[in-house]
Amino acid sequence: MKPIFKIYLICLLLISCEDVIEVDLNTAEPRLVIEASLNWIKGTDGNLQFIRLSLTAPYFDDTIPPATGATITVTDLNSNTFNFIENENTGIYSNESFIPELNGVYNLAINYNNEIYTATETLIPVVPIEFVEQKNDGGFTGDDIEIKAYYTDPLGIDNYYLFEFLVIDSNNLDLEVYDDEFTDGNQIFAFYSSDDIEPGDELLIRNSGVSERGYEFFNILLQQTDEDSGGPFESQPATVRGNCVNQTNPSNYPLGYFRVSETDIFTYVVQ
Amino acid sequence: MKNLLLWFLFALCFNILSLNAQERFTLSGTVSEEKSNETLIGVNIIFPEISAGTTTNEYGFYSITLPKGTYKLIVSYLGFSTISETITLTQDITKNLSLLDALESLDEIVITEDIEKLNIKTPQMSVSKLTSSTIKDIPVVLGESDIIKAITLLPGVTSAGEGASGFNVRGGAADQNLILLDEATIYNSSHLFGFFSVFNPDAIKDIKLYKGGIPARYGGRVSSVLDIYQKEGNSKEFHMNGGIGLVSSRLLAEGPIKQGKGSFLFGGRSSYAHLFLPIFDINNIAYFYDLNTKLSYRINDRNNIYLSGYFGRDVFRIEDSFENTYGNSVLNFRWNHLFSDKLFSNLSFIYSDYYYELRLDFVEFDWISGIQNFNLKYDFKHYISDKIKLQYGINSMYYKFNPGEINPTVPSSGINPFKLIDKYAFENAIYLDAEHKISDKLALSYGLRLSSFHRLGQDELNVYENDQAILFNEDFQIYEKAEPIAKTSFKRSAVIESFYNLEPRASLAYQVSPNSSVKMSYNRMSQYLHLLSNTNSPTPLDIWTPSGKYVKPQLLDQFAIGYFKNFNNNTYALELESFYKTVKNRIDYIDGADLIANNAIEQIILNGRARAYGLEVLLRKNEGKLKGWLAYTLSKSEQQTRGRTPTELGINNGNWYNTPYDKTHDISITGSYQWNKKWKINTNFLFQTGQPATFPNGQYEFNGLNIPNYSNRNADRLPSYNRLDVSLNYTPKPNKTKGWQSYWVFGIYNIYNRKNAASINFGQNTDTNTNEATRLAIFGIVPSISYNFKL
Repeated sequence: MKPIFKIYLICLLLISCEDVIEVDLNTAEPRLVIEASLNWIKGTDGNLQFIRLSLTAPYFDDTIPPATGATITVTDLNSNTFNFIENENTGIYSNESFIPELNGVYNLAINYNNEIYTATETLIPVVPIEFVEQKNDGGFTGDDIEIKAYYTDPLGIDNYYLFEFLVIDSNNLDLEVYDDEFTDGNQIFAFYSSDDIEPGDELLIRNSGVSERGYEFFNILLQQTDEDSGGPFESQPATVRGNCVNQTNPSNYPLGYFRVSETDIFTYVVQ
Repeated sequence: MKNLLLWFLFALCFNILSLNAQERFTLSGTVSEEKSNETLIGVNIIFPEISAGTTTNEYGFYSITLPKGTYKLIVSYLGFSTISETITLTQDITKNLSLLDALESLDEIVITEDIEKLNIKTPQMSVSKLTSSTIKDIPVVLGESDIIKAITLLPGVTSAGEGASGFNVRGGAADQNLILLDEATIYNSSHLFGFFSVFNPDAIKDIKLYKGGIPARYGGRVSSVLDIYQKEGNSKEFHMNGGIGLVSSRLLAEGPIKQGKGSFLFGGRSSYAHLFLPIFDINNIAYFYDLNTKLSYRINDRNNIYLSGYFGRDVFRIEDSFENTYGNSVLNFRWNHLFSDKLFSNLSFIYSDYYYELRLDFVEFDWISGIQNFNLKYDFKHYISDKIKLQYGINSMYYKFNPGEINPTVPSSGINPFKLIDKYAFENAIYLDAEHKISDKLALSYGLRLSSFHRLGQDELNVYENDQAILFNEDFQIYEKAEPIAKTSFKRSAVIESFYNLEPRASLAYQVSPNSSVKMSYNRMSQYLHLLSNTNSPTPLDIWTPSGKYVKPQLLDQFAIGYFKNFNNNTYALELESFYKTVKNRIDYIDGADLIANNAIEQIILNGRARAYGLEVLLRKNEGKLKGWLAYTLSKSEQQTRGRTPTELGINNGNWYNTPYDKTHDISITGSYQWNKKWKINTNFLFQTGQPATFPNGQYEFNGLNIPNYSNRNADRLPSYNRLDVSLNYTPKPNKTKGWQSYWVFGIYNIYNRKNAASINFGQNTDTNTNEATRLAIFGIVPSISYNFKL
């Protein structure tokens, strides 16, 4: 339903002006950010997985510091333990023997600076992207390219989707989340629109199954990163709490999310 | 307290008994404008020798009962020539009076005694009155004179910002204002997302804003009452007036029906299509229109009937992808009946609705929501003596809420039709208000309102374990929705939940000197409807929801104290007021709450509380070539939502935090100078502390995105808001009083082109990949011109 607010804002923009200004901001103490997104891409063995740890930084800084020197393990209910090993001091940790299992439950444990962080998530299956439709005269000005990626929602169960639209050349990434409250059991589409893409651009569309909690998390997260965030028609922004908990010192809570998904990839060349 | 009450009762009885001590007679009638026969509201009827007096009510009626005798009578009204005559009361007299517009006799301003003194004597405080002509003199953006914009220049009233709907009174939310047009509730007061209000100033007769000490005849909202009356129309001659502006044009026709026994008024206003979208050569439309109608008929001296209506719509269409229509409709039938020359009554049947439709063709669905309201009111004004006036009445309202309905727009749409559950409610009230003059110096007004609210049966009401619709996840320290354990359907006639509230109101005025007085007031009010909105400013899409099992009614207690002084022969008036108020059960929203198309609002809201306090100063110059006012408000407005148990976090860690309408300093200066008969210059200046906002205190990367990490709610502020506006009124032929008369308004809004921030967005520049803060400023300098005429 959010497009309505965007359109209100566009109308405001026609008579208003936007400019970049200097704002003095407070900076909070750094927190650990856990980006543990384990994707089992359909048709692969899903053995190679990455987890990225970083820290929060002052808002106008150009670099994000990695969180290095942590030990990370993921365990499943079959008593398998997957150790994630850091690639030098990059804050990127990897494992090459991960065993994905649909609807399997996984536990994450991180020891960073002698504090233990944990999370639990289920590997959520997903339906494939069936086809893509393109419209070239969309949007407010009539010259945006609109992409609809169709899929069929399984009937009778609650499903949540995370769509990633990546323009490979420009590295522009757009995320959308959908639930099936009004579309249960139907063939429906994920919607992407941009005035920056051109015929010939390669678009990578990824659809990942997420849990309800994951959907709620991404939904709030995306509201805040939206370019209109902070605008008059947006809900008040807030710290977005994920599903990871600091067991040692709960008030030093981490940001980020531990997500385990089945993922379908569809590559589309813009016509 | 009990003793005080007994004393009141005693005083009341004594006063009534004392009626018989002397022979008394009643003078009553209506006061109207000479040229049009339009009745006038709030005209002062004064007997200076015995310092007694009364004012006309909303229908122009007055009544006063005095001992037999001969008195000097003064009838005065701001902007009109004063009538002064001698009257001998030896029997009951019905005397209809008519006043002449002072504009007709501008040079002979009659300075009269005892006019404003009456004002300082009445216990009513915290009330602001604006005339239609004052409002038309205020420079406004794009030259569209606007009632809501005008009242935000008064102390204690702020706007939610340029391009934002609604207004905030004494630190209250926009949904806490009761907006009445001819006694009918208006649910959304703005056009084009707040740029203009829905009230056509040409059709408006009288505007009063009650900020505190609200009389018992009003109820249902906790912050303020904006009481607007439409004109009845000229019952002597046919007239037209209108205006052509940059944004909209207006036309209003009025005239007599049945040889002056009745009158009609028909007014229309429409903005120009394509206004905001001229740059695109495509079929986009954005416009609004409204229609005001009123028929009045005088059956005889004791009976008048009125039929009035309002219909307004905003339409907003973007080719093939989007269409948005919304607006209010009001239909109102009223019957004035005089039971005696001391007992005036008004019976009203009112229908009002708010309709919202959104068609999103690009995602193939249509959304409709709204509220319908039937209202029956019977109000009495009982002029017992010159010392006591009673007002009492009953009121019943029936509501139907449509929280939303989704339908696919094409057969192939992947959207399933879906209807959010309709809700129904019944609100009743009974009230008694007394205005009681105890002595020459002391006047009281006290009243009581008993209100009740019944949530009626609906389908599929969610039932939760322990009635907890929202759960706190202690691991993640977040609020989560609870799963309903059952759904219950009720018969429509069943009552699911009832609330009863006693709302005492009291105010007092004590005259400390002939020109000054001290006033105090207390009021308790309850509000059973809530506007669901967690955006920074209300939007047309916001939905009203009734109190019920999970949403409790808001309860307000407000205390105010004030000092009022007229000086320099009543040329100047000073009003100082201080207020403190608390609101219980103010709805607060959990982080990221999604209010749209949500069938279980109870899963995302918590009941909190709010408080506000402040000091208001208003200095007015009422007369002379230079008129205007200076208003200053110093205030604080906060809210708090604590956890329900010690382990819960609450909102913002359970701490008090600023509401979005907390503006510490608010200054406005409004003035007009009549240079000569042809030229008049108007100006206003505003300064406000920046609106509270939430800014990031860090950033991080996640899933390929750069994410700002936000601090506590409303912990920061936008830069302060200030601007200066100027306008010139030019009347080419000021001496013309017949036929085509016209004037021009040339205006410049925000003359020093300040970029006042409506919001600051934090995001990443897609070219440089660095974070930046972007200010959105709605109006820079805006020149305007409009042409207005009457005949």
